[in-house]
Amino acid sequence: MLNYVWISLIMIGILVAAGNDVKDEVQNPYRNGMPMQATFVVHKGPSALRQAWEGELVISSEAFNGFYGIRTESTEVRQPVVVSTSAAGESSLLMQMKETSPTRWKEMAKSATTKDQLMGLIRSMQFSDDKRSAAITLALEPIRFTKFKAITQAALEYAATAVNIALGLIGIMALWLGVMKVAEEAGLVRVLTKLLTPVTKAIFPDVPAQHPAVGAMIMNIAANMLGLSNAATPLGLKAMEELNKLNPKVGTATNAMVTFLAINTGGLILIPATAIAVRAAAGSANPGIIIGTSIVGASCATIAGILAARLLQRLPAYKRALEVKNG
Amino acid sequence: MADFFRTLITAISIVAIPLVILLFLTWGFAKKVKVYEVFVEGAKEGFSVAVRIIPYLVAMLVAIGIFRASGAMELLTAILSPVTNLIGMPAETLPMALMRPLSGSGSLGIMTELMKVHGPDSFIGILASTMYGSSETTFYVLAVYFGSVNIRNTRHAVPAGIIADVAGMLAAVGIVRLLFG
Repeated sequence: MLNYVWISLIMIGILVAAGNDVKDEVQNPYRNGMPMQATFVVHKGPSALRQAWEGELVISSEAFNGFYGIRTESTEVRQPVVVSTSAAGESSLLMQMKETSPTRWKEMAKSATTKDQLMGLIRSMQFSDDKRSAAITLALEPIRFTKFKAITQAALEYAATAVNIALGLIGIMALWLGVMKVAEEAGLVRVLTKLLTPVTKAIFPDVPAQHPAVGAMIMNIAANMLGLSNAATPLGLKAMEELNKLNPKVGTATNAMVTFLAINTGGLILIPATAIAVRAAAGSANPGIIIGTSIVGASCATIAGILAARLLQRLPAYKRALEVKNG
Repeated sequence: MADFFRTLITAISIVAIPLVILLFLTWGFAKKVKVYEVFVEGAKEGFSVAVRIIPYLVAMLVAIGIFRASGAMELLTAILSPVTNLIGMPAETLPMALMRPLSGSGSLGIMTELMKVHGPDSFIGILASTMYGSSETTFYVLAVYFGSVNIRNTRHAVPAGIIADVAGMLAAVGIVRLLFG
């Protein structure tokens, strides 16, 4: 199943990206090669060293929206810009994207030659009498294949993120595996396990009640409920390792593993701290109002996950996958 | 009542880790376990487990990254919105429901954005944050947990995880509509 999900994510991703890029090619939403009119307000004129003007491009919101056929800009566009002239007499401009830059330009700059900068050629520049401003006609660099560029970048970035996440786990993994090892040797995990035997026996009938896996699973679920994700992952991985010792078929998930993961993906948490923090930051009058609703949602998810795992494991195809072939 | 519950749980989560470490280690010491040596023995595993996860995590995150960057989410939202309209789920929150199982940072971004646009105490704001709290990043959990023990045939784990996610999202819509709708 994971095979299908995985290949679908990649195939759909690449096909949709291709479709979007072809659509862009036809509709030309970035107006590649089309001349744009703007007013250039000069802040700093050219010096002896450099034939460049610094200033702002000013375009009225109607003109900007009209040019791109959008409705996103509500105020006048004022974009810092550097205009420079080469020895051959050709003028070009460079715009560094800022927080206040128009959304459409920011989008375009993401797939521009230099990230977050838009370049362009100046077709004509007519200075006013006082040399403080100029009416210019410009053509921005063509923006093409934005989605293909984006997926290439995403693939590379996410591969690096994956390694960073895994490496970041080393320290916490070591800490918790060490603590758990001590608890195991001291027989503490067994005490904990005994207390919850009726519950664990019902959810994980395939796992012997006194097995170390049970202790690790209980600790993992407790840590998850308290929102201690730093502790939960190492304890969960410890539980997987213990469950794998009971696995008759290496490389294949057992029923207990799937049930355990269903509980984990349900993500029951007593205080959804991240969501509350974001709500508080957004100026909520009552950030904690979602505690109750989240517990209801996550409980439903967890119960549905356990039931689904227990029911699906009876399907013949999934049963067969766990059978060990003789000979 | 709700405030008391919240303060209590927050207090427990703050003291939990130091207390558990203290309890486990002193208990072990009292039981004459050679705590330092045993700790180091266990901790040794940390490196190999983390490194073992890398290929699984790379495979999963790259696929999710490509999917997200392609704009496929917008397409999926457009296809699914007639269905979700029927159950009273606002179309704005559909990307949230779709992103939650795929990417933690992605769904966090969507939640933040929805709150910025609609306000945290609006119906959409409450629903989005409830959805965020109602589920985990299923595919990340699958990749990390199964990766750590080199499991490649995940059997019914994906359907079970997706059923859990769908149930969580539907329950979130139901309860938020009931209380704040």
